[in-house]
Parts: sequence; C-alpha cells; structure tokens
Amino acid sequence: MLTRLKGGRIYDPANGIDGEVRDLYLRSGRIVAAPADPREANEVIDLSGRVVMAGAIDLHTHIGGGKVNIARMMLPEDHLGDLVTSGTHPHLGCGHAAPSTRTAGYHYAEMGYVACFEPAMLAANARQAHLELADTPMVDKGAYVLLGNDDFLLRALAAGRDPQYLQDYVAWTLRAAQALAIKVVNPGGINAFKFNQRKLDLDEENRAYGVTPRQILLALASAVQGLGLAHPLHIHGCNLGVPGNLETTLATIRGLEGLRAHLTHVQFHSYGTEGDHKFSSGAAAIAEAINANPNISLDVGQIMFGRTITESGDSMRQYAGSAYADPKKWVGMDIECDAGCGVVPFRYKNRNFVNALQWAIGLELFLLVDDPWRIFLTTDHPNGAPFTSYPHLIRLLMDRSFRRDMLTTLNPDAAAASHLAAIDREYSLYEIAIMTRAAPARALGLDGFGSLGPGARAHVVVYRDHADRERMFATPEYVFKDGQLIVRDGRVVAEVHGATHVVHPDYDPAIERDLGAYFERHMTVRKDNLRVADDEIRDDGRGALVVHQTDARA
Amino acid sequence: MSQGLTDNTACAVCPYCALLCDDLVLAQGSDQSFTVNGAGCRRAAAAFARAPVAAEPLIDGKPAVLEAAIVAAARLLKRARRPLFGGLATDIDGIRASVDLAERCGATLDHLHGDTLAATARIQQTRGWFATTLSEVRNRADLVVVVDIDFAQHFERFPQRCLGPRPAFDSGGVQPRHIAFVGARAHLGTALDAQTVVSCNSARIAEVLRALLARLRGHPLAARRPGGATLAALDQLAAQMRGAAYTAIVFAPGSLGPACEPAIGAVCELVDELNRTTRAALLALGGDNGGQSAASTCAWLTGFPLRVGFGATLHYEPLAYATDTLLDAEAIDALLWIDAYGSHTAPPKRAPLARTIVLGAARPDIVKRCAVFIPVGTPGVDHFARLIRTDSVVTLPLPQQRDSGLPSVAGVLTRIVEKL
Repeated sequence: MLTRLKGGRIYDPANGIDGEVRDLYLRSGRIVAAPADPREANEVIDLSGRVVMAGAIDLHTHIGGGKVNIARMMLPEDHLGDLVTSGTHPHLGCGHAAPSTRTAGYHYAEMGYVACFEPAMLAANARQAHLELADTPMVDKGAYVLLGNDDFLLRALAAGRDPQYLQDYVAWTLRAAQALAIKVVNPGGINAFKFNQRKLDLDEENRAYGVTPRQILLALASAVQGLGLAHPLHIHGCNLGVPGNLETTLATIRGLEGLRAHLTHVQFHSYGTEGDHKFSSGAAAIAEAINANPNISLDVGQIMFGRTITESGDSMRQYAGSAYADPKKWVGMDIECDAGCGVVPFRYKNRNFVNALQWAIGLELFLLVDDPWRIFLTTDHPNGAPFTSYPHLIRLLMDRSFRRDMLTTLNPDAAAASHLAAIDREYSLYEIAIMTRAAPARALGLDGFGSLGPGARAHVVVYRDHADRERMFATPEYVFKDGQLIVRDGRVVAEVHGATHVVHPDYDPAIERDLGAYFERHMTVRKDNLRVADDEIRDDGRGALVVHQTDARA
Repeated sequence: MSQGLTDNTACAVCPYCALLCDDLVLAQGSDQSFTVNGAGCRRAAAAFARAPVAAEPLIDGKPAVLEAAIVAAARLLKRARRPLFGGLATDIDGIRASVDLAERCGATLDHLHGDTLAATARIQQTRGWFATTLSEVRNRADLVVVVDIDFAQHFERFPQRCLGPRPAFDSGGVQPRHIAFVGARAHLGTALDAQTVVSCNSARIAEVLRALLARLRGHPLAARRPGGATLAALDQLAAQMRGAAYTAIVFAPGSLGPACEPAIGAVCELVDELNRTTRAALLALGGDNGGQSAASTCAWLTGFPLRVGFGATLHYEPLAYATDTLLDAEAIDALLWIDAYGSHTAPPKRAPLARTIVLGAARPDIVKRCAVFIPVGTPGVDHFARLIRTDSVVTLPLPQQRDSGLPSVAGVLTRIVEKL
C-alpha cells in the first residue's frame, strides 16, 4: 500500500526543508522516495495549504513510575475535574496533572506526539515504571535511570574507584533497568538529605561519604560519554528553586570541563537575588553561557498558571517546597538506598510575583538561547504544567503580541522586572519543528524519528495553518504513526502500542561480583531480581524492545 | 506473560505476603507441593505445602470444561447491570485483565483488603506522609519504633531481614540499632529484643501515639496513663527519637483495627515533627494477597486506587464501593470473586451465590452453590507473575515453580472478554 500525502508544506529540519510544498509517500510504515509515476499511489490525501511535520518527541515528561503513581493516588480532585467520558477514547481514564497511563498516551497522540521519555526512573522501581509505560498506548517510550544518590556509587567514589569501574556500573545499571540514558538529580543531595543535610552546594561534601556534587557530575558525565551513549548525562542540578541558583548553574556548566551534558528544566535553575523580593531572572546570564558552550543542551521546564503537581526525585528540595503545597498535602520518600522522591501539589498564580517571574524566566530562556538544536520544549510535565499546555506554549513562542498581552495580566512588579517585553524574537515553524522533532531525535539517538526523509519511520503530523498557533498545534488534522492513521481532527481513531527504546552497553562482568556481594550484604532484594528481562518488555507481543547501538570508546 | 519453569536451584520469591522475600529454597514433592528448605516463615511453609487445586470448573455446581465455564461466566457478566469484582487477590496482570473486563461490563472494583487500602489512600489524599522502604530501614535507621505488630502472626521475617543487621550507612560511624516497641506485647519473633518497650492497650494505640507526639513536642498531658502507657516510658522513647539520626516508625495498617486512620495520622505527625530537626520516615507493612499490586495497577490504569466503577465515565467512591457496603445494600446483581492465593477464602456472607463467579481455590460447600467456579493457579507458583512489595517501590518477578496446568487469572479473564 502506497499513500501519497499531496501538496503539503513540509517543515523537515532533519533534511533542511523549510516550508517547501512537496509530496510525501508512505509505504509499510516508512517514508519512501517518490515513485517514478505518482499514479502508483493507492491512496492520495490532498494536503494543500496544510503544514506537515514529523511526529513530535517529548524528551522529558514524568509519565510513569513510583512518584507518578503516588501523584495519581493523591489527587482524586485532579481526576474528577477531567474524567474521560465514554466514546472519547478507546478506554476510560482521567486526569489533568496526573493522568492515567492510557489517557496520557491518547492526549499525546492527539497533539501529534509519537515518543515520550520518562526522565526519572529508579533502578529499584524500574519494573513498575516499565509496566506503566507498557500501559501508555500510542507513543514509543523510554526512560532515563537515576544514578548519583545511590549508596553504591557514592561508596565507590569515596573509595577512589577508577573510571572504568564506574563505567561498568553505569552500563550494568542501564542494562538492568532497561534505560536509554542516565539522569542525575541533585547530585548527592538526595543521599545527603537522608543524613539530614538540608542543602548541598556544588562543592559541599556529603556528610557520610565526603563526596561532592561536582565529583559525581564529572564521574557520571565521563562514564556516559565513555560508553558512547547518544544522550549525554541528563542533569537536574543542585539547588533547584533556590534564589541565587543561577551561580550554581553557571558553575555546573564550567565544572563539566567541556564534557557533553543536558541540563534539564533550567528555568528552575536560573534565579538571581536582585530586587525588593530578592528574586530575579538569571535567564540572560544562563543563555549566554549556553550559547558559548556547544557541549551543553537544555530543556526549559516552562511553568504555566494553574493547578498542577510537582513530582521529583529531589526529596531534599521537595521537602523545602512542601511548605508551599496547595492543597496542603504532600508525600515524600527515602527509597532503597537508591534515591528518593517528593510529590507536592502546587498552584502557579499569575498575580504572585515569584510565579509570574518564573513564567517570564522560562520564556526568556527560550528566546535568548540562539540554537534551537540545543533547547527543547518542555514543561517538565507536570512540574511546570501539564504537557497538554504545549500548544499554548508554542503560541507564546511564535506570537510576540500574544506574549505581550499575557504579560499585562501578570503581577506588575514581575512584569516590570522581566526583559520579556523587550524581546522581539518569534519562533518560526521551522524552529518549532527543530525543537520538538529533529533536535530531540538527534539528542536521543532515535534513528528514523524526527525526519520526513526516505527511510524514516512514517510519523507524520498534518496541521491546518491557523493563525492562532495554539489552536493549530492542539488539534492536528492527521497523525500517522508508522504509516497508520491514529488521529483524525484531534481524535484518536486507532489504538496502537509503541516500542520501548533502550541501550545495552557492554560491561566487564566482574562488576557483578561486587554488586552481588553488595546486594547480599545490604539490599532486601536479590541483584538478579532487580534486572528487567527483555521478555518482560516484549510481554508476549504487547510491547517491543528497540536496542540502540552505543559507540563505546576505548 | 509466559516464561518457562524456573531452574530448581534458583531462589524462589514468596507470593504469600507483601514482603515478597526472594531468597526461598524450595523442594518439590511428588504431589507438586513444596517444602521450604531455606529462608521461609511459617506462613510460607504452610502455603507452599499445599498441592495445586485439583478441582474442575463447575457451572451451577456441575462439572464442566473450562471453555464452557468461561462462556457461562461471560454470559452472566453480560446480563449483569451492576457487577462487583471483589477479592481481586491476584497479580499485576490479573488486575490489568480485571480492569479491562470491568470496563467492558460496567463493573466496580474492590479488594479483599479494601478497607485498609482505602484508609491508607485517604491518608495520602488528605495530608500525605513521609515514607521509607525496606532497604533504607535495614541500612540507615538507628532507631526503629515498631507500632504493635505481632511478628509471630504477620511479616514474620521483617525483623530478621530489616532489623537484625547493623545499620551500615551512617555519617557518624556504624551504630548499633535501637529497637523500640509500642503496644500490648513486644514480639519480634526472632532472637531480637526491643530495648525500649512502651506497654499499652492495643485498642487505644492512637491515643498512645498522640500522647507520644505531645511529649515529643514538650507539651504537658492531663492523662496520667494515656492508652495504658506510662509517661515515663513515653518520655524515654521521645528522648530516643530526638537523639536518633534516622527514626523509622513501622506499623501494619491491617492490624491496627478500626483505629487505623487516627493511629496512622499520629504516626505521620510524629515523622513530620522529627523531620523538622532530624530525619525520620514511616513504613507501612500491608498489601498482602496482591493488595499493593491491585491498588497501584488500578491507580495507573484508571487514576484511582480501587473502589472505582465503570460506566459512562469512571466513578470513585472510596467508602460506598466497599464490598460489604455494596452487598448489604443489595446494590450489585453479580459478583466476580477472585482469590488466586489458594487460601480457600469464601466470598463474603451476603454474596448472591447464584450470580457469583469464583476464580480461585475450591471450598466445595460454597463453590457448588455458585453460578460458575473456575480453579486458577497461584501467582508465582503455578505461573509467572509480577507483584509489588509492601513499600510500593520494588516490583518482583515471580517465576513459575511447577507445571500444574492451572490457568492464571489474567488468562481466564482475557478469555471472558473475548466471549463478551
């Protein structure tokens, strides 16, 4: 079966195509070159006047695993306001900030997303995270496994273990947890909180192990680079949310010493201490550093006004943030000598100075970072806002008069403190296609994604070219996944199940001896029971496993 | 999902309580029962000693082939307008299949331990808590306060696995662990002893914990013997908690009785109070019979941790959808009762047996009177399973231990869906 998508305006940055009117051909789930005779097509869909992009990719969204499920359990009020009614989706479900797995998958597909990545999977909780991802339909998926607060790694660093040993441990963890990348959250800080440290700066020692966040970052970033992973170390830095943390972020960028790294939800790490409120935007300084350091990529973690819930592995900072819980409830955890979590409901208010400035800081970052290949569109779902606010965010980036109108509704002191009104930049469709398609595919090493070139997987999204970009991006006219029409006019028309993307780098099996002894001595589960088998992901055909090659260096 | 039989030299994972001990050594007898030769407990020994369910499927008390029983079950559920799926003592795949079937026939879901699961969910929904996990307690807690758990009856290996080893991860040199017990009778079951005992009346445990909170905060108390505890004992424990680096408060919601919610609330407040200056966390032991797996899986699939009903939309009624409440009100017209742990649990007394489908082990006097009975295997014994541990963090893979030919709950329910 050959399908011809005729005459759409193509935005395909992976192939340098910027708004050219062209035909696309789909066959057997792939995009194929134009046949000699267009009449060979069995099906023709006229896309005159439509905008065509590859399927979108979210590289940082909390959609599965322990803390996400705690949020679901905690928030019946979130669900009761957003119940799915019969006939809307293939299955019932609910939720706005903490949606059920299926509802999350349907909502992503309705916006033209074809792949989503859970950025904070714990090795101790990996099996559950994969079960939840397996129950998230429509999209391909994957997860980044957390390291850097586990007692095993901190003990190894304290003992002065060599880089190869650490690299073997990182590789074993990726394999055991079936992960695509490594994330570190508040390096060493979650562990330090278990020893009653309430903050941990970049060069501050963990009380028990004498190890600093800087050491952990360097060790992990080196190990990830040494293993040849496509995605560099995914860093949630120290001092999240603390006024003045822009200095920590700048020091982190310098401290990486040219190693590749991805800084996540940088909005929460770009705060100064100027002004009457002792809270100011550090976006300009951060953007300048990003622009000057091509080894660094980032996602923003934009906030939007309204109710949400913050779910984070950063138990240290979430403990501090729990004072602002709205409504007044929160769940925290110390977890399995591995990590922690804090789940805190929150309401961002546009009349609140700090919240209003957070909103402006996120947008300043988007608009001041020059290279759309290194900045990704996220709200750190649901921590800044639910992912369903992406179309609104795209409009804010593409429409400066809309942005300025919104600015007038904010807390006036915050509006005055921000440089946002003076920034004229508007994102083009081509740049949106870079930051939501081509760039995340490249950043994660997802072959066949983020591209409309021949050979790419036939993930195609067709939009009506509406002047209101929010409306345009909220309800694509067609979404094809692997060549199959899954969404028509913003409604799911076919339920599909995506694959799970992982890496299986090699490691010296000698590491298993030390790990075996460690598990025997300390843990309450056997080492081999932590390991998620390939067949569990495949699950008798319900799922599929895509193992990406790594490019290990000697 | 299917996986082959486990290698007999490997350790087995025990499905019979939510600790999910994964270091058992089993020996299979000629009747396919097992002897636990290493690392078990009394409950595990008794449960593994059971041979596979030998019964045949029944329709209206008469023997039938599996296919006919599945068709009969589907017919009954198709006709029902307000079915309840109760018991739900199964594994993650069993819950996934239960949710799918419930959606197809407009059913409501509750678990055998629904009251306790709903109570702990309500705590999270109203105030939240700061919790910890088994390995954290084992390695980090220099003070463990056990709230009235009889380890001879329940979670027998918890003291050995989590309290016996010296805490190893410590910022000030490795300290011996101090164990305190608050309750009627300190019973740690093993060679361990509680160094501090606050003797009190179990029925008044919430009152005792609130008194402890008051003393921890330095507040005076009017009562001289709150809940039967002495102020001296409470003060001693409060001082130990203030002095500890990491206090873990361990309780079992299911054994706290009707006072469970106020008692858990007091534990939450004790932890919050300590975390202002030092470190503390709570650990709830519960969720047996697949309860933790049921609540978690239902939460990710529907958004709600059980007591959810399917109609034109989802309905969540954490009180009204209790099994006993629904049966007492005669608010259901069919019951699917699932207990895959071979414990011969009967459906509740008021169950409408003529419109009841039982998946589980046979109790001949009951199942003969049910509309449909389908014997199923035990998760992690008769088929591969995955279960979530009491701390809701670790999910264990449980390999199949014997080839009994018994179907899994998920297998049966999936076939019922196909017949609808």
